[in-house]
Amino acid sequence: MIQYLLRLLQPALAGVLLGGCLFPGAAAADGDAVFHRAINLNGPALSIGGHDWEGSASAPNFEAKGRTFENQDVPLVPQTSPARSRMIRSSVWGPEVDLTLKQVPAGRYQVFVYIWEDNRSESFHLLVNDRLVQPMVQSGNAGAWKKLGPWHCESQNGQIKISARSDENGAANLSGLEVWLGDGPVPPEPAPAFADNPTPEQLAFFESKIRPLLAENCYGCHSTQSGKTKNGLSLDSRQGIRLGGDRGPALVSGAPDESLLISAVRHSSQELTMPPRKKLAPEEIALLEEWVKMGAPDPRIREALSPAAAAATARQGVDWEKARTWWSFQPLTQPPPPAVRDTAWPENGIDHFILSRLESEGLAPAADAVPEVLIRRLTYDLTGLPPSPAEVDVFTESAVTKGLTAAIREAADRVLASPAYGEAWGRHWLDVVRYADTAGDNSDFPIPQMRLYRDWVIAAFNRDLPYDEFVREQLAGDLLPQRTNDQLTATGYLANARRFGSRVDDYPIHLTIEDTIDNFGRAFLGLTINCARCHDHKFDPITTADYYALYGIFSSTRYPWPGIELDQRQRDLVPLVPQDQMAAALTASHKRAEEMHRLEKEEKRLAETVKDAADGPDKDASQQKLEAARKAIKELAAQPTVPRAYAVSEGPNPADAPIQLRGDPTKPGPMVRRRFLTILGGAELPPDAAGSGRAKLAEWVLAPSNPLPAKVMANRIWQGHFGKGLVATPNDFGKQGRAPTHPALLDWLASRFAGQGWSVKEMHRLIVTSRTWRQSSLPRGPEAHEKDPGQALLSSFPRQRLSAEAIRDTLLALGGSLDRSPGGQHPFPPQEEWNYTQHHPFKAVYPTDKRSVYLMTQRMQRHPFLAIFDGADPSTSTARRATSTTPLQALFLLNDPLVHEQAAKFTDRLLTSVPEEPGRIRAAWRELFARPPDTGELESARAFLNSLRAKLATTGGKPPGTVEAEAWQSLVRALLRLNEFVYLD
Amino acid sequence: MRPRSFNRRAVLRSLAGGSLLMPGLVSQLLAEDSPADPLAPRVTELPAPAKRVIFIFSNGGVSHMDTFDPKPKLFAADGKTMGIGGGLSNQQRVLLRPGWQFKPGGKCGTPVSDLFPHLRGCMDDICVIRSMKSDDNEHYNATLGLHCGSFFFSRPSIGSWISYGLGTSNRNLPSFVVLAAASPYAGTQIFNNDFLPAYHQGVRVMPGHEPITDLDPRSTLEGLQKMEMDFSGALNARHLKARGGDTDLAARIRSFETAFHMQSEAREVFELEKETDETLELYGMKRGQTEGFGWQCLVARRLAERGVRFIELVDGSSSHNWDQHGDMAEHAKHAEYIDQPVAGLLKDLKRRGMLDDTLVVWTTEFGRTPGVDGTKGRGHHSACFSSWMAGGGVKGGITYGETDEIGAAVVENRVHVHDFHATILHLLGIDHERLTYRHGGRDYRLTDVSGNVVGDILS
Repeated sequence: MIQYLLRLLQPALAGVLLGGCLFPGAAAADGDAVFHRAINLNGPALSIGGHDWEGSASAPNFEAKGRTFENQDVPLVPQTSPARSRMIRSSVWGPEVDLTLKQVPAGRYQVFVYIWEDNRSESFHLLVNDRLVQPMVQSGNAGAWKKLGPWHCESQNGQIKISARSDENGAANLSGLEVWLGDGPVPPEPAPAFADNPTPEQLAFFESKIRPLLAENCYGCHSTQSGKTKNGLSLDSRQGIRLGGDRGPALVSGAPDESLLISAVRHSSQELTMPPRKKLAPEEIALLEEWVKMGAPDPRIREALSPAAAAATARQGVDWEKARTWWSFQPLTQPPPPAVRDTAWPENGIDHFILSRLESEGLAPAADAVPEVLIRRLTYDLTGLPPSPAEVDVFTESAVTKGLTAAIREAADRVLASPAYGEAWGRHWLDVVRYADTAGDNSDFPIPQMRLYRDWVIAAFNRDLPYDEFVREQLAGDLLPQRTNDQLTATGYLANARRFGSRVDDYPIHLTIEDTIDNFGRAFLGLTINCARCHDHKFDPITTADYYALYGIFSSTRYPWPGIELDQRQRDLVPLVPQDQMAAALTASHKRAEEMHRLEKEEKRLAETVKDAADGPDKDASQQKLEAARKAIKELAAQPTVPRAYAVSEGPNPADAPIQLRGDPTKPGPMVRRRFLTILGGAELPPDAAGSGRAKLAEWVLAPSNPLPAKVMANRIWQGHFGKGLVATPNDFGKQGRAPTHPALLDWLASRFAGQGWSVKEMHRLIVTSRTWRQSSLPRGPEAHEKDPGQALLSSFPRQRLSAEAIRDTLLALGGSLDRSPGGQHPFPPQEEWNYTQHHPFKAVYPTDKRSVYLMTQRMQRHPFLAIFDGADPSTSTARRATSTTPLQALFLLNDPLVHEQAAKFTDRLLTSVPEEPGRIRAAWRELFARPPDTGELESARAFLNSLRAKLATTGGKPPGTVEAEAWQSLVRALLRLNEFVYLD
Repeated sequence: MRPRSFNRRAVLRSLAGGSLLMPGLVSQLLAEDSPADPLAPRVTELPAPAKRVIFIFSNGGVSHMDTFDPKPKLFAADGKTMGIGGGLSNQQRVLLRPGWQFKPGGKCGTPVSDLFPHLRGCMDDICVIRSMKSDDNEHYNATLGLHCGSFFFSRPSIGSWISYGLGTSNRNLPSFVVLAAASPYAGTQIFNNDFLPAYHQGVRVMPGHEPITDLDPRSTLEGLQKMEMDFSGALNARHLKARGGDTDLAARIRSFETAFHMQSEAREVFELEKETDETLELYGMKRGQTEGFGWQCLVARRLAERGVRFIELVDGSSSHNWDQHGDMAEHAKHAEYIDQPVAGLLKDLKRRGMLDDTLVVWTTEFGRTPGVDGTKGRGHHSACFSSWMAGGGVKGGITYGETDEIGAAVVENRVHVHDFHATILHLLGIDHERLTYRHGGRDYRLTDVSGNVVGDILS
């Protein structure tokens, strides 16, 4: 039946082929080079790109010298058509390879050579007619292939000879040879046309054979209508099948051997076998092959679009007018604070917005909190530490004598001037930028210099660096005129992007750049730009072209190398020297790195020689050389170097980047000019711009026309005080985020922030002096519970649990153990000793009594304490800390040595500094809860102490002082577990 | 954010009420469908033959052709025939003969090599999957992928997803416990909750004196901690009352209650004194032993009995494991280390009637090459490997999937890591496409955008 049908179709098929319309572009233009011959080395004859290739074994007038090799299972990078893959993965190789074409007619020719690598990179030289045409060819990592050439040559004595030679231990691996006649341009490979005007016979063939076959075997996972389009491939429409999926087009018209669909159903490579659990019958495969040979006639033109095709259509159809109406893209305005009925309540503008909303809901704000609560709230809010009893006294006194507003202002000025402020608020920023002291590759290499950026962030908050400068320096501090070392250090923000894997030559830089763009979008703009890496953003007006417009900026930037498993030394860090000494410093540092590299290679080679050598004078000589090399390495390592920052610099070859189709770096699409997001103006890098474009990027972000940075940061500051932002999703101001609860207030705050010098400290002052912030955490009445259950309207102050850092720092402070000095360096092992691998990754927890912001943070694993108490996620941006309540947290407070030690030290302090029991109890309460105990609490504490003494006395044999101390330690531990201790009212 | 398919059930009364320490107010606040109880057990929409999982992970890449996937053509290796080999399996090398003979096991006759004589006896309960496929030839990435469904980025572990999807029935123990003597590849990321709430993090248990960090009371004086608890309980109750019964505060009070009981209940899990000599023998253990794989397996059974939802047993570490590039003979000592304990676990679960609703999974991150690496070893091979499942709704006594004649590639019924995960979730009554969590503007799932349930192995 099949044979019959095929016979029936033959004439039509022949017509198509003879008419030449399958390859409409095949005709050569005048002056173009003309295809002469192509040879598949160590492989069969096949057809690639419309040209017939000969198999080397049967090719006449051709001779190949070298060893043969084939491995069809190596995945190629980049991927290519099945026929070309087949050609590449069979080869002739060796330290000396000679390919000779004989009886070549006299004339000028151009030669191309395909090379590939099946495992480790090799280097060799290529010669044509004994002339060196390409020295030191690097074959690349496993799976890499290249088409080299063209090299122009003449037929010499009727021969063209292509040779590969390598120095010691190298080898060349040549896959194919392509020869063209003439010096003119080599025409591009023609794209074969599909049979777009199928004959009735072709349609009958499709309907009776192909459609049922696809529907039965493929639609289950690859059809728009079934809702499953795995790997982006839908086979239920002509557009879908031709456009293909993640791996590229499924069909090459007329060329079954080059069509992915055919290769998949043939199961010819283990990379892709379809259908996954069952192989089609040979006659079914034959039908599909015939269909492709015909030019894949397909009438399903009106049927569903594939998702990729749909996206392509949608791309042209982004309704930018409509997109611009989204709330967060609206320009900053200065809405007047609305009128309120209770005019006595507001202290400042904030209160008008909050109260007006409450009044419209029929709610009244909560009462002012008592001074003791306010000073505890203020001090933790701004410093992450508790107020001292003396500070509480001053505040409560001022509240009476000067009034609450003046007392708050005074206290705010005091704490904002304290270094503890930057340590607490710097930590908020470090959360957002997913700060870590290690690189996140498979071995998680340490980055000793990273802490310079951490210190820069803390200092920036402490000196109230205007936020626009703060942003500019992190994106492009190195490019500012008369830049300082500080500003260089700030670009540690970009350098801190995550590293991946353990390989070097095919290091996945596209993932590091994705991490950069992801964080850049969330941190500064509140946008999830990285969603557009593989396809246009599904919800927000961000296109794939937008993503790669930014990508080009970062791919033109040089990231420092932290060291990873297969290349363990740091490089490309930035010397901290004045601008005019930079060139010299870079050269020196480069020379040093090269020398170290040379020495280490030498050392390795000698060590192997010594290992393998038989005893004797040769071995002794090598041993001596080895020791000399080791000594030289030590000396070089010990030489003082210029301090360096883990920061970025301009890349060597700034350039635009192509779109990566479906996010696959091996599938470059059209180039995109470096520019800003379309929705935010789409400003382009000027044509004459030199460098990466980062300086421009900072300008675009901070342009007055861009409302996002001010809104996003104002919201973060608000969240830092109230525990929740006006926008509950601080990293996402797009459609998947939450709308602001008080849009006008956010606008008002943002325009004040941007309009008054971007001072973060001024924003704190504004917020803490509002009546809103001053409210008690107890709502006015039951109606508040009903109408404002999540406190989104701020009918009372939202109660908050202390952060992991605040809990640990407070425990240390109570015990008198907290070391308030700045963090300094982490005690990482010296770099010469680094030998981290995925088998033995870097892993450490360095004990310290310093504030928690100075704890060494690993990208790959959380600090054990921070993990228990919802610390920041070191692998991705943390917009807001979660507050989980788990038994493991309770176990920590019940049994952890830290809690017991600090309770004992705190007890010692109380017992030595306060003479009598009620005073001690009052002191304990004041230090823990910033308030004295009431009579009931005092009495129950005394009773508890008494029962503890009785209990402890029963164990006997203890000196009297011990019982008292132990009873007190018990009391203190019980107090440390109270909700009042870890919650802020 | 939780998928709608999961119905909430009231918190178990036995946990919420009836305690001296738990103020009545707390029980009331937390009793019903409270957001403060993310671990409340949930009834699934699909039937759930398995109620819990014991997931055994052998680090380093266990050779399939030397264990569960017999290849006569490899036994005929003549020192000349080539096949995929070398370190990261991209090279052609001479084929290496397997070092162990295969014999049929059980009534079903599923062949197993001499590396696993004890497990061979359990084959009637086991479904061997010979067509596993992973995406990466590096330990780190393959291990991450096998646990989190993502080969480069850290994501929640399968145990965390299951805890999030099903909650747990015993609140005095964590829902997800990891028994690991040393750190596996990719470290703690493989049992991390990542963006899922911290309730779902894997709690690491280490063999030795204090298996769970901070589990043991510091004071040796009996009753002292209880006095402290009573005192703070009273003050907390007062504080709570003055604050109108804030559920966050109430939940924290209860977390202390749970922790207090965990100290004894979790401790009791590790007290193996009451196990009979016969049981200890079954696991290949000596009385008093507090480490080794027998200890891990027996503790796993005890955790399973007490309602822990997901129990992972890590075999080996990132630096001491099945990664035999140099000499395959070393597979023998690694096999011996786990063979009898794992077989003992299966038998013990079965005779206690627990195997019916406990899914036991054994896997590794990838297989090894048919061609030689070094002189006597095998390289990494993610193109195919073997895993097995037993109990909890899985057909015993069968093999599924096939590799080619030298074990280089899957030729039939490929089971990708995502398919493997989808099947485990299905056995627990979870549709892997509906177990999602909104994070950073997107719904995530364990199986990313892939995964098919392997229907043929379901009983």
